[in-house]
Amino acid sequence: MPALKYAYYPGCASKSITKEADETTRIVSAAFGMELHDMLKANCCGAGLLADYDRQLHLALNARIFAEAEVMGMDILTICSTCLMVMSVANRDLKKDPALLTATNAVLEKAGLHYSGNVRIKHLLWALIEDVGLDAVKKKIKRPLKAIKVAPFYGCHSLRPSDALGFEDPELPHSLDDVIKAVGAEPVDYDGKTKCCGFQADLMAEDMAVSMTARRLKEGKTKGADCFVTPCPFCHINLDNYQGVAEKKTGGRIDMPVLHLAQLVGLALGLKAGDVGLERHLVSAERLFA
Amino acid sequence: MKIKLRIKRCSPLGPGCAEGYYQAYTIDARPGMTVLDALLSIFDEQDASLGFRRSCRSAICGSCAMTINGAAKLACSTQIIVEYEKAGALTLEPLANHTPLKDLIVDFNPFWRKMEKIRPYLKPVSMIEGKAVQITQDDLGRIDKAQACILCGSCNAECSSLEADDRFTGPAALAKAWRFVGDVREAGGRARLGRLSDDHGVWDCVRCVRCTQVCPKDVDPLKAIERLRERAIEEGITDNPGARHALSMAASVRRVGLLDEAAMTLKTLGFLRSLGMIPFGLKMEMHGKMPMPMIFSQIENIDEVRAIYDECERIKPKIRT
Repeated sequence: MPALKYAYYPGCASKSITKEADETTRIVSAAFGMELHDMLKANCCGAGLLADYDRQLHLALNARIFAEAEVMGMDILTICSTCLMVMSVANRDLKKDPALLTATNAVLEKAGLHYSGNVRIKHLLWALIEDVGLDAVKKKIKRPLKAIKVAPFYGCHSLRPSDALGFEDPELPHSLDDVIKAVGAEPVDYDGKTKCCGFQADLMAEDMAVSMTARRLKEGKTKGADCFVTPCPFCHINLDNYQGVAEKKTGGRIDMPVLHLAQLVGLALGLKAGDVGLERHLVSAERLFA
Repeated sequence: MKIKLRIKRCSPLGPGCAEGYYQAYTIDARPGMTVLDALLSIFDEQDASLGFRRSCRSAICGSCAMTINGAAKLACSTQIIVEYEKAGALTLEPLANHTPLKDLIVDFNPFWRKMEKIRPYLKPVSMIEGKAVQITQDDLGRIDKAQACILCGSCNAECSSLEADDRFTGPAALAKAWRFVGDVREAGGRARLGRLSDDHGVWDCVRCVRCTQVCPKDVDPLKAIERLRERAIEEGITDNPGARHALSMAASVRRVGLLDEAAMTLKTLGFLRSLGMIPFGLKMEMHGKMPMPMIFSQIENIDEVRAIYDECERIKPKIRT
C-alpha cells in the first residue's frame, strides 16, 4: 500500500480554541500510517467571511493554499468542515471557469505564485473511509466503545453543497454513522443531524444562533444519545463551548458531552481521556471514557 | 411496481393542522412517473379530498414544492421510483417553515410579505436621471441566476435561520433583492443595501448552504447573499456586527494570515459588548480555551498574502462580481 501523504490543513480554530482536535488527529493519523505534512505557509480560508468582503480576494487566498499543496505534490486534508466547504467551493469555481482561474492567477502572480487546478481537498472523515478503510480502522480498535450511544452531528459544511463536496448524499449521509459503528459504539438517529449548529451567527444574532445549538442537542438527547460527535471544530465550539449559554437562553439542562471525530476514534484506539484533551471541553465527557 | 406513499394530512376543519396525521396510499408506479403524477392519480382514482397545489407540471410555475423524504423538492420534477429506491420509502409532507392550510398546501402569505419587503421592482436610473444604460452580457450574467427563481419556496422551507427566527428575510427574498441590487439599471441600490443590512437581513444568514442545495433552478441564494454583503461593505454600510465581522476577518488575515478569534470578537462586538463576554471567557480560560490575541504568531511568507490584498484592492474598482 502506498504511503498516505497529505498536505495537512487543520484550520485556524484547531490552532487555538479546539487545538485538542489537531493534537488528537496527529496521534490517530500516525496510528493508521497517514503522514500529515504541515502547510507552513497556508493562510486562513476565510470561513466564508472573505467571500462576503471581496470575492476575488477570497478566491486568490484560497488558490494560494492550493498552490502550496501543488508544490508539496499532495492533496489537502482538513479536520474542519467549514474549511472543507469553503476550499471545495472555491476549487470547484476555479476548476470549472477557466476565465476565473486566469483572473485569479493574475492576482497570485503578484505574489510569485500559480495554481494549476489540480488539488483535491478531503476531510479526515473521508480519508478514514476512503484511504484507510473502515476494516483497517476496526483492526486497530483496542477499546471498543460498547454501550455508548453516539449522536452523529454532520452539520452543514461536510455535506453541502454536494456538487462541490460530493462525498455522500446530503439527504442520507452515513459516513459518521459508519465510523461510530466501526469503533464499536451505537449511532443515534435524530432529526437535526444534518442541520446547523448556529456558529456563523454567534456574534451577529446570538439568540437565534444558540436556539439552533440547543435544538440540535435536545433532539439528540431525546433520542437517548450519551454524547455527540462532530467532524467540525466550529460545530464543537457551539455544541460544547456555547452549550451553557444555550441552556440559559432556552431553558432546561442539556449536559451533553461533544467529541471531535478524532477523539472518538482515538479513545477506541485505547488513548486515555487526557491523551485526547477531554479536559479541555466545557461539558465533561470524562464520565463516559474514564 | 407498487409503491406505498405516506402523505401527511391535515384539515382546517379537523382537529387542528398543527399535528396532522399520516395516510398511506398505494399506487402502481411506472418508470419516469413523477411524484406529481402519483398525486394526480391518487386524486383522480382514490381520494378526491387530498389537497396539493400544482399547475404547469414542468418545473416552471413553482406551485408543487413539498417535502419529499425530508427535503424540499418539486413534485413535478422528482421521479417516484428513483426517490423510493434511494430512501426505501416515500413520505410526502408540506413544506417546512410554512404553516399547513390543508394537507400539502401551505400558507404562502408570509413568503409574499417577505418578497414585498424587499420591494421587488426596478427603480431605473433612466427614469430618475434620464439617461440610457447599456447592458453587457456580463451585466446580465451577474443577475441571471437570481432571475431564474420560480418562487417555489423550497429555499425558505430549508432555511436554518428562518426555522429559528421567522423574522429573517429569508433566502428567496434575498436572492430577489440581489436581482435588483445587481442590476446595472437600478438607481436605488444603496438604499436597498442599507435596509438589507438591518436586523433580520443579509447578516442573519448562517451559511448552512441548505438553500443553495435544494433550489430546483440553481439560483444559488447563498451566493446572492454573499454578493449583497460584499456590495453593502463596498458602499460603506459597515456599522453593524455582520459587516464588522467580515471586515475584522479581512484585517486579521492580512495581519497574520490567520483567523485571530480574540481580535475579531472585540472588533465585531465593540469594546462594551465584548465586556459582556468576560464571564464566558473566564469559563473558556478554565479549560485552556481562551483565544489569545495573535501578536507574535503569523504564517510563513505573509508578504505573499499582503501582495494579494494589495492587488485585489487595486483591481477592485475595475471588477464587478
